[in-house]
Formats: sequence, C-alpha cells, structure tokens
Amino acid sequence: MNSVDASEHYELNATELAPSLLTIVLDTNPHAWASLESSLPLTKAVANLLVFINAHLACNYANEVAVVASHTTKATWLYPVHDDDVSQQQPADADGDVAMNGENGTGSQSNKYRPFRMVEERVTQRLKQLLDSTNSDDLRGNTSTMLAGALTLALSNINRRTIAWAEKHGGADLEDAAGDGGTGGGNAGGTGPGRYSASNDEERLQSRILIVSVSGSSDSAHQYIPVMNSIFACQRLHIPIDVCKLSGDAVFLQQACDATKGVYMALSEPRGLLQYLMMAFLPDQRSRKHLVLPTRVDVDFRAACFCHRRVVDIGYVCSICLSIFCEPPPDNECLTCGTPLDVGDFGSKPALIPRKKKKKKRVNGTSTVGTPMSTGTPPPG
Amino acid sequence: MADSDEEYVGGVTDDEDDLQVTRTDASQPRKRKQRGAAEWELSRTWETLVEGADGTISSTVEGLLEASKRKRLLKDTTPLQRGIIRHLILILDLSQSMAEKDLRPTRYLLALRYAQEFVREFFEQNPISQLGVLGLRDGLAIRVSDISGNPTEHLTAIQELKTQDPKGLPSLQNGLEMARGALFHTPSHGTREVLVLFGSLLSSDPGDIHQTINTLITDKVRVRIVGLAAQVAICKELCSRTNPGDETAYGVVLNEQHFRELLMDVTTPLASQKQTASSLLMMGFPSRTVEPTPSLCACHSRPSRGGYLCSRCGSKVCNLPAECPSCGLTLILSTHLARSYHHLFPLMNWVEVPWRRATSKACFACGLAFPPVPPEDQWSTTESQVKGMSVSSRYQCEACQNHFCIDCDLFAHEVAHNCPGCQSHSIQAAPEGMDTAA
Repeated sequence: MNSVDASEHYELNATELAPSLLTIVLDTNPHAWASLESSLPLTKAVANLLVFINAHLACNYANEVAVVASHTTKATWLYPVHDDDVSQQQPADADGDVAMNGENGTGSQSNKYRPFRMVEERVTQRLKQLLDSTNSDDLRGNTSTMLAGALTLALSNINRRTIAWAEKHGGADLEDAAGDGGTGGGNAGGTGPGRYSASNDEERLQSRILIVSVSGSSDSAHQYIPVMNSIFACQRLHIPIDVCKLSGDAVFLQQACDATKGVYMALSEPRGLLQYLMMAFLPDQRSRKHLVLPTRVDVDFRAACFCHRRVVDIGYVCSICLSIFCEPPPDNECLTCGTPLDVGDFGSKPALIPRKKKKKKRVNGTSTVGTPMSTGTPPPG
Repeated sequence: MADSDEEYVGGVTDDEDDLQVTRTDASQPRKRKQRGAAEWELSRTWETLVEGADGTISSTVEGLLEASKRKRLLKDTTPLQRGIIRHLILILDLSQSMAEKDLRPTRYLLALRYAQEFVREFFEQNPISQLGVLGLRDGLAIRVSDISGNPTEHLTAIQELKTQDPKGLPSLQNGLEMARGALFHTPSHGTREVLVLFGSLLSSDPGDIHQTINTLITDKVRVRIVGLAAQVAICKELCSRTNPGDETAYGVVLNEQHFRELLMDVTTPLASQKQTASSLLMMGFPSRTVEPTPSLCACHSRPSRGGYLCSRCGSKVCNLPAECPSCGLTLILSTHLARSYHHLFPLMNWVEVPWRRATSKACFACGLAFPPVPPEDQWSTTESQVKGMSVSSRYQCEACQNHFCIDCDLFAHEVAHNCPGCQSHSIQAAPEGMDTAA
C-alpha cells in the first residue's frame, strides 16, 4: 500500500517492479444470478468487485485492470471499452473530458481518484447496456455462459498490454517480448518460447485472470475444447487463473486453476464476497510466492466418455481423434471420426502374454538357480 | 499503441531506416536460398521498397515487418488426420564438424541448447508421445537417452553432453540403424519418426546407406533432417524417399533464428499417411491422491505424499503422463488429450481485408485502433506487393466476420488456438451446442 505514496518518485528506478494487470471475467448469466438473489444480488456483487478493483489499482500506480463479461449469448468488454462508438476514448488513459460528457450525475464524484472513477463508470454503464440488450429470447433454455470467448478476449488483451508494456519499457525484455517485430518474425516461432513463454518473469507485465463464476459446468460441454485451449494458453504464458465460485461447480475451472497454479475458492457464504476477494485474490504473483494459498488439492481429473458421458477410470481412446469411450464402440468404428478401429489386440496383451513369458522364465529360472549349485560342486570333483 | 509504433518508425533518421530494412529483409533471401543459389542472387531487396504517399518508406518497412510476422501463419489449415501419437528419435551430430563457430557460440552448444528446447516443446505439443535421443560420434551411434515419455530424462541426458566435446566423424547409417532398432517395437498406431541435426558434409558409413534407406521405407520410418552446414545429397535423398511428397523434410539453416524455426516446425505432428493403422487404446485416467504419510512411488522409488494411483493395479506414479511401471497401462489425464485437440481442429487462417471492406475502426479482440481508410483514389498506391500482408492492417476471420490486428492474428493462431470473435457470440456457436445437448 505504501506504493501509492512513494512509488512515483522512483518511476525510473531500474529496480522498479513490473506492475500487474488484473483481468476479471465476470459471469453475468442471469439465471444463476437470479438464484443467488437472496444472498448476493448482482448489484451488490458488482459493488464488491469495484472495491476490489480499486484496491488492486491502489497497490501500484501503474497497475491495470480489465473486465470482461461472459454473458449467456456473448462475451463482451466492460472495461476498457473498444467499441466503435466510443473509439475516441479508446486509449487506456482516456481524457476526463469525454467521460464527463457522458453522464452528468458523476459530478458529485469529481473528487474521486480518476482511475477509480473511470473504471466504475465504464463498468456500470456497460453492464447496464449489456443487461438492457438481453431479451427473453436469449435466455430461454440457455443457461450456459460464453466462458471460452471471455477467456480468449482476456488473453488477447493481455497479449496486447504485454507487448505494449515491453515496448515502452525497453530494456532486455523488449527484444524478448517484441523481438519478432525487429528480427523478422523469426523467433515468434509459433511455439517458440522466445516470445510467448515468459523467460524473464520478473521483468514483464504480471498478468492474472480472475473468473467470478456462477454457472454450472453442465451446459458448457460444447465449449470444452475452446476453454481448454484458453487454459493451455494461460499455462504457457504463466498466467494464473483464479476462480471465485459463487454457486455451482465446474470441473474444468478446477483443472484450470490446477494447471495454471491459480487459486480456486468455492464460497460457502457468498455474502462475504468482498472479504474473500481481498484476502485470497488480491496478492499478485510476486506476493503469492510468500503465501500459502487457499487452493484445493483434490482436483477432479476423471474423464467422461464421449458415448454415455459416464465418468471412467479406464477408458478406450481412439488413436486418430482421441475420443474417449467407456467400452469398445459398436462395429469397432469410432463414433466421432468414423475410422474403423483395430480393437482386437489391446485387452489380452498386457494381461496374458507377459504371464506366459514369466512362466517360461520361471522354469528356466529354477533350473538356473539349480545350476550354480551344480557348477559350485564341480571344482572339488 | 499504434501511435507509438508509427512515431518510432517515422522518427528515425534515413540511415537507420536503411538498417531496419536490411534487417527485416533477411527473411526473404532466406526463403529463396532454400530453392537454389541462382534465384537468391536475383533477389534485389531494395527493389521491394516503395516510397509511400508521404515520401517516406516507413509504410513499406512496417509492411515487411507485418508480412514476416504472418509468413509463418499461412500454413495449411485443412483438418487432417495427424499422427498424434508419435515416436520420434532425435539424432544429434556430435562429430568434429560441430565444433565450427559459424553458429554462435558453437554449432555444438547451440544444437544442444535448441535440442533441449525442442524436447520441452515436443512434449508440450505432443503429451502422449515418446522420444529418444541418439548421438553420432567417432563413427559410432551412441545412445544418449532411451525412448520414453518423460522430458526430464532427455533434458538431463542432453545437458550432460555439454561437458563433452564433439569428436570424430559421423556415421549416418549407424545412427539410422540404431534409430530403426529403437522404433522397431513401437505400436503401429503411432508414427515412427527420426529427426537428425546434421552438421557434417559427409557420412562415414560401414555399409551401403541406400540399403538402410530401403529398410527404413519398409518400416515406415520417416526421416527429417536439419542441416547446419550445406545441403548434402544423401540427406536429400533420404528425406525425399522416406517422406514421399513432402518437400519440407530437409532444411538447411541460414542462421540461428532459422535453425530454431526448422526445429520447432517438427513439433507439429505430421499429417498421417494413409497406411497408418488406427486402433483403440486402453488408457487409465487416474485421479490425484494426497496421503498423510509419504510413500515410495513405483516409477522412481522416491518418497512422496502426492501422486496418482494406477486405475488398474493401484501403483503410485508421481508424474503423468506415464506408463504404469507394474502393469504397463498408459496413464494420462484428460487434459493431456485435450492438449492435442488443436492439431486436429486447427483454427482457419484469417484473410486480408482490402480497403473496400475495411469498415472496422479497432481490432475486435484487443481494441487496437486501425489506420483510417484513405480516400478511394489512394487505394491503389498503398496496395502493397508484399504477400500475406493486409493493406488495411486488418485481418478477418471468415466465420465470424470480425476484424483483428496482426498481433491478435498471431496470438490466436499460435497460442490461443481460438478465434476471439467466434467464441464471443453464440449466434454461430449455439446451434451446434444446442444440437449436441439435445
């Protein structure tokens, strides 16, 4: 907290620590929030989140924040806003003028620290727009949330901010993070750690993602692959995914936290949201090294088969498309990709053939055990 | 951030501009050289520079930067059957020619460093695959590490090589024969691949290497070679015969960057050839346990509290993916399988957007402002000759019609493997989802 007062004087100090970028993915599924109405209405949750965002911004003057809404039918930015209609405000540090034109009611908040005010105005305004634009058709029979889209948007923004920050701050990491620009895209190397895996973690923008989730996972099966892709991208970029679960339970969110070393908390008392946020989710990656984090250990990794959605311990996997089945599929044909599969050779092999060999060996073994004895005897004889 | 970019390029003096140009142009002759030296001599890189409307060449420079970023991306994205379960032998040249210092610090050290990166990346991309490492030294093939699915074993084995010196002549034939032996027992549903990092211009073989090539073909082993010096005829023959129809199997490095690129290309699974047998594999999906007291793991006999219990026999292994040491069941997590899905369902390439269709003002994903559309009469002048680059700096996903910037294009195709636009609207996605749910 001291950084608020002191850090500005050390702006150009070489030992300055990189600021952190907090991206919040807010699940705005109306169904789920309606069921939470009695304990934690959405308005209250947003108010709590804004306090948390302010706390994050106050930790370091250069800290940044981004908020994505994961709605039932779309994922959209709440802050910063990139829309065409407000594109003049698009730079992250937009002038105060434009915001003042927007709403007159904000005059009473003129004494508020500007970054706090901007985030608050934008988020509430955009959230209102989003909810107003939701009609009953969108909600009918649709209880899922666009988590994959929200995560991908969040990641794209993180990527942009990381490149921008590295360019601005030059130094060693410029070559690393934006190096593909200068050297002809060579080390972008698709998969190349040169660009995308943080080789010098300390020096680059510290990003993390917090998912405030209310929906269950049952409906997101068709999003499974995109969500997992996003999770692996986070894992590769060393971006922890924190999950604050207000209701329901989602297996792949647990896996996300486990894979990216983030914090998973299922709140038993949603009313205490702010307390949980402040205590468990405020520390950034650097502080977390020194803390014991409230992460769950028993992550559910079991796979569900594609044919009956049964949870399996031992499954059969198609070698072409990697679909999981709980039993060999009928007609020995993969249900997903239609490839005829060679089923015959797997079941018997591990169980039978080695045993036969062992038996043979044992026969030999006993005789060889016998022979040393007999070879031992010859010398006297 | 676009502002700062433009200021930077525009602000430098002419001399510096020239420098930048030569640097960025390096990618062009590189590509040509592969096709033959005669063509390379004809590339006049200065001719690709065209003065922009404002009399500077900054727009061309930026275009070249962007094109080179995108060059990599324009790969084939038709969903192919790929050999996801791979068995690969990495053969390192450890002969005296590796002591050359044309690659910094030496060919030997650089090759070992990149080999380690390769191993890491290989297992990142192909979690259920197997890898082994061999070396060619003193005319012999030496075993560096056995074929296994654990990256750390390979990494430590390669690390140990760093203390030794390259020595003697290499024998390609010995290396290939040993690799063939190592791959002999691999199941038919997986691929059999050999990757050679070859620094020499000769191969000192005990027998007829052509016979070895024939046996490799009958065993369906596919050999890829990264040459560090120059093209060698036998290498070319070896690659083209074991990879029918694939021209990219043999590459000769031009510089350190290119070396890395060639190597990392191999981490993407190959499109499978038709003969590959497909089969159903039995796999265990164990869940993690944490015990109150430490116990020995079956794989390393080290005491540990956490671990995974084999779903068939209950032995404890400390890391996944692994093969159960006692019953031989392949143990993986469902996340390992999910990691390979992006090879099977690749994201489509995005298309360049001409000024005519450049209606968007900012990148859909990251909000970067696009350059404004110029008056119509200037459209043709800004039309760039650089292939793969969009005049309007916009790239469009054809499925969701959203426009993205070059950085998001790269990011979406190389890291995220998701289209931010398609995933953000259920209009396209929901019908499929609903169908599968119903």
